[in-house]
Amino acid sequence: MKKRGIGLGCGWYGTGYGNGFPDVSSAFVEIHDDGSATVSTGAVDVGQGSSTVFAQIAAEELGLEPQDITVITGDTDTTPDSGTSAATRHTYNTGNAVLKAVREAKERLLDHAAHEFSCTSAQGIELKEGWIGVIGDPSRRQPLADMVFQARLHGERFISAESSTARTTPVDRENGQGAPYWPYAFGAQVAEVEVDTETGLVQVLRIIAAHDVGRAINPTQVEGQIAGAVAQGVGYALMEEVELHEGVIKNPAFSSYLIPTALDVPNIQTIIVEEEEITGPYGAKGLGEPAMVPTLAAVVNAIYDAVGVRITSLPATPEKILAALVEKERTFGEGGMRQNIDS
Amino acid sequence: MNEAVVGTRIEREDGWGKVLGETHFPADVNRPGELYGAVLRSPHAHAHIRSVNVRAAAALPGVVGVFTAENVPHNAHGVLFRDQQVLVSECVRMVGDPIAAVAAETEKIAREAIARVEVDYEILPGLFDPEEAMKPDAPALHPDMHGPSNVLYHLPIRRGDMQAGWTKADVVVEKEYRTQMLDHAFLQPEAVLAYVDERGHLVVKVATQYAHYDRGEIAHALGLKYSQVRVKTMAVGGAFGGREDISLQIIAGLMAWTLRKPIKMENTRTESFLSHSKRHPMRLYYKTGATKDGKLVALEAKIIGDAGAYSSWSPNVVRKAAIHATGPYEIPNVQIDSYAVLTNNPYSGAMRAFGAAQPVLAYESQMDLLAEALGLSPLEMRLRNIFHVGSVTATGQMLTSSVGMAKCLQALTPYLATKGDAS
Repeated sequence: MKKRGIGLGCGWYGTGYGNGFPDVSSAFVEIHDDGSATVSTGAVDVGQGSSTVFAQIAAEELGLEPQDITVITGDTDTTPDSGTSAATRHTYNTGNAVLKAVREAKERLLDHAAHEFSCTSAQGIELKEGWIGVIGDPSRRQPLADMVFQARLHGERFISAESSTARTTPVDRENGQGAPYWPYAFGAQVAEVEVDTETGLVQVLRIIAAHDVGRAINPTQVEGQIAGAVAQGVGYALMEEVELHEGVIKNPAFSSYLIPTALDVPNIQTIIVEEEEITGPYGAKGLGEPAMVPTLAAVVNAIYDAVGVRITSLPATPEKILAALVEKERTFGEGGMRQNIDS
Repeated sequence: MNEAVVGTRIEREDGWGKVLGETHFPADVNRPGELYGAVLRSPHAHAHIRSVNVRAAAALPGVVGVFTAENVPHNAHGVLFRDQQVLVSECVRMVGDPIAAVAAETEKIAREAIARVEVDYEILPGLFDPEEAMKPDAPALHPDMHGPSNVLYHLPIRRGDMQAGWTKADVVVEKEYRTQMLDHAFLQPEAVLAYVDERGHLVVKVATQYAHYDRGEIAHALGLKYSQVRVKTMAVGGAFGGREDISLQIIAGLMAWTLRKPIKMENTRTESFLSHSKRHPMRLYYKTGATKDGKLVALEAKIIGDAGAYSSWSPNVVRKAAIHATGPYEIPNVQIDSYAVLTNNPYSGAMRAFGAAQPVLAYESQMDLLAEALGLSPLEMRLRNIFHVGSVTATGQMLTSSVGMAKCLQALTPYLATKGDAS
């Protein structure tokens, strides 16, 4: 018989290296003579989409299109060390470094433009849609490319190198007190599952995932992170396990180490919550890891809601669920079980 | 929020290359005249190496070089402690430890050659259960590097007054949870191309999470300057923490630097399983108390993480588990102890959500159990305890901004209206 249940899981996640370890990201920026720009940073895009985020940040600051920005990464000959692609740190920390570097180059550009436009303050200059000009004075503007090219003839170049370091303190080794991470990410997910009481097999039908990302720099990539995280979370909850016997891995192959396939991945509904993080680039904080935290809990709680058995040892395999159902029947009796499951 | 580009759904810059198959992963890059490398790995979890005889391997036609520990200038690497050897010299601590490497004209010859390397092992009893390994009388697995105990790291968190907390608790739930060892299961097994370029610099092309770290470890092991080593990241086919520790980079670099020939290496899936880190299996002992109003008042938690054979990121992972052990909830009285314990299992390291992924099984199960005992809905139980701006965590940290927990739950409320078949 197939039984349905709903489960809730909440999670939190401190981003960055944490515990007082200097979490430093760095970036080089060069604004070219034709008004395009290059961002160079060690941060490796491992598929999470960081390079696209950096292009968006640089384009935003310079009033350009993202395709006007080349992002060079992960080459020790050409990029500055920007820390590891881990700890949910690149959008926040390397994003901040890119933002600082772009603003540094931009500041000198604005100063130069203010002088060229006979404007008394660089704060009166704006970069928009490939143009640079005086705010509110359409007679004083020109293509950014012209401004940068002319500036070179005056010996001006707009390049920069900046670093950004996240705030963190080490925890006390005696009592654990301290402020180890910043910022923290939060999320909650609801799982809807169907449990087959004859086979013990769990099908996750739907996950609704709500995550606080501070600000979604690219909502499509936020959804992508959540989809991947949910798939991994379902694998963690239900099927994946490195089986060991005296230190020997018994299943070192995808024929025996089961990961979710398209048939196992549920319908995923994403809700993006934006609770601005004031220290982040445009209010953003990371999502990569926290997105998978709530999934396994939501699934385990949903299994309980469906069939009244609590799985305390992962993964929640059919064997464990069947054994728990048998145990429950033995404890509560035939009627008890029926009462618990069927009513 | 009136930005023009930030907040928009622009296409990923790497999207089309991947969709059209034009992206280059490290397995896709080659160099004229390249040799193939293969690694002999230990089948034993704990052993003393009496001798390694490479004569038969070196004599195989097509074999260009055979390397053992004595060929590595500085034979150590590691993210926190350099407690892993590039090629093991004396003590095997886990199945999969690398012992010898071969460079040959073809992959087939390289793999035949490693099968001809003769290793004389003295097999030792292994420690496979972290709770056994942490006992004071257990033999130390890394006495030189990590001292007489296999407890690599312990973080206690103490806050409030436990006795006062239990006194206030109307309901107490006590339970033990276990999470399993996981593999990252990235789709692209480790691969590397290493060569000496026209400037005389060592170039290593690899899929890594941190090119600059790899450069430092390669330079250290080979006795080169950072400026002589270039690590260039190719497209990464999934990482999830499994590409933080060094895999084939130093071995390939060593052979390329020594032989002055390009070296190509690619793990099989099985070699990938045997060689990279794993997610820490954890045992979590939880005792949680709440008042009849559903307010959490006390948590006592003991968390034991199996670090496996090498430290990798274990201290940081179990520290993260301790710091996140309460869940996103205010609990005024906590006593948390988190341990990383060395064993002869595959080594544990970084994996997506890094120590915060395991305690969620415990704290969220406890929340549902407490809710049931108190006659509250799971949602209501959480709403009465979640963090807000101004909340203080178990480490005494005040959350000063961007605490979206309440908004997340608010968004999910409509989906929690129905009840399951068991209720």
